[in-house]
Amino acid sequence: MDNLGFLFAANAFIWGGIIYYVYTLKKRSRALEKDLELLKENLSKEG
Amino acid sequence: MMSSDDVDKNEGESNFLLGLTGLGLLAAIFAIFIYAPTERTEGVIQRIMYFHVPSAWLSFFAFFIVFICSILFLWKKDREWDIYAHASAEIGVIFCSLVLITGPIWGAWWVWDARLTSTLILWIIYVAYLMLRSQSDAGSMRARYSAVLGIVGFLNIPFIHFSVLWWRTFHPQPKVISSEGFGKGMETGMLATLGVSLFAFTLLYFLLMGLRVRQEKLKDEIDKLKRETLYSS
Repeated sequence: MDNLGFLFAANAFIWGGIIYYVYTLKKRSRALEKDLELLKENLSKEG
Repeated sequence: MMSSDDVDKNEGESNFLLGLTGLGLLAAIFAIFIYAPTERTEGVIQRIMYFHVPSAWLSFFAFFIVFICSILFLWKKDREWDIYAHASAEIGVIFCSLVLITGPIWGAWWVWDARLTSTLILWIIYVAYLMLRSQSDAGSMRARYSAVLGIVGFLNIPFIHFSVLWWRTFHPQPKVISSEGFGKGMETGMLATLGVSLFAFTLLYFLLMGLRVRQEKLKDEIDKLKRETLYSS
């Protein structure tokens, strides 16, 4: 692999990492939203 | 309190920003690998600059937001500013790590010169900031100590910026804003590529910030509801 190939591979690796970070943030937010909805539902049933 | 309409609206805004950031990053990748001319003496390796400089810009910008939000927290005592400062510090540390990784790949392995060492110190300060937050109990004292560290840490940034002008360092002199004038030290194609890359990274900052802030607010709301349930029962 030439230098440009290595550079592209390194870039792809870092971007892969950043995309994975964005994905985990979105996934965690969705899980928290679900928890919140469930909690609200349970509270309204009790109340 | 967040309603389901707020959640949908936030989701829509975040998806729009995600699409825009994706387009920006694709444009940056195209410019870096196809459009930008190859530098005569350094060759292909110089293209690391289009990643290294925007990472540095993003980390400095993120720490500037930590600085501002920390001052606002100490002044207003509003948890909202603490959330913004925490989210921004996390993003700043990620991109400051990338600066410290890409720099030695571009230039040479570690040299204890003023620019590199002061950037490492900045990274250590904000890693300490995140450790302080994760190791102490949630509450106003944690937020207050973090805010003080967030402000003190930022004072290192002007020192980092001027270090290449004040001392003879291994790090190159500024090329975009130089004594010759704005962008005079670079070819137009390189300057345009750097501009696209900087824009894409700035969008990425706002995307990450939006996601992290939303997550912290959701956590706060869950904690608040749990506490209310506990005290009412």
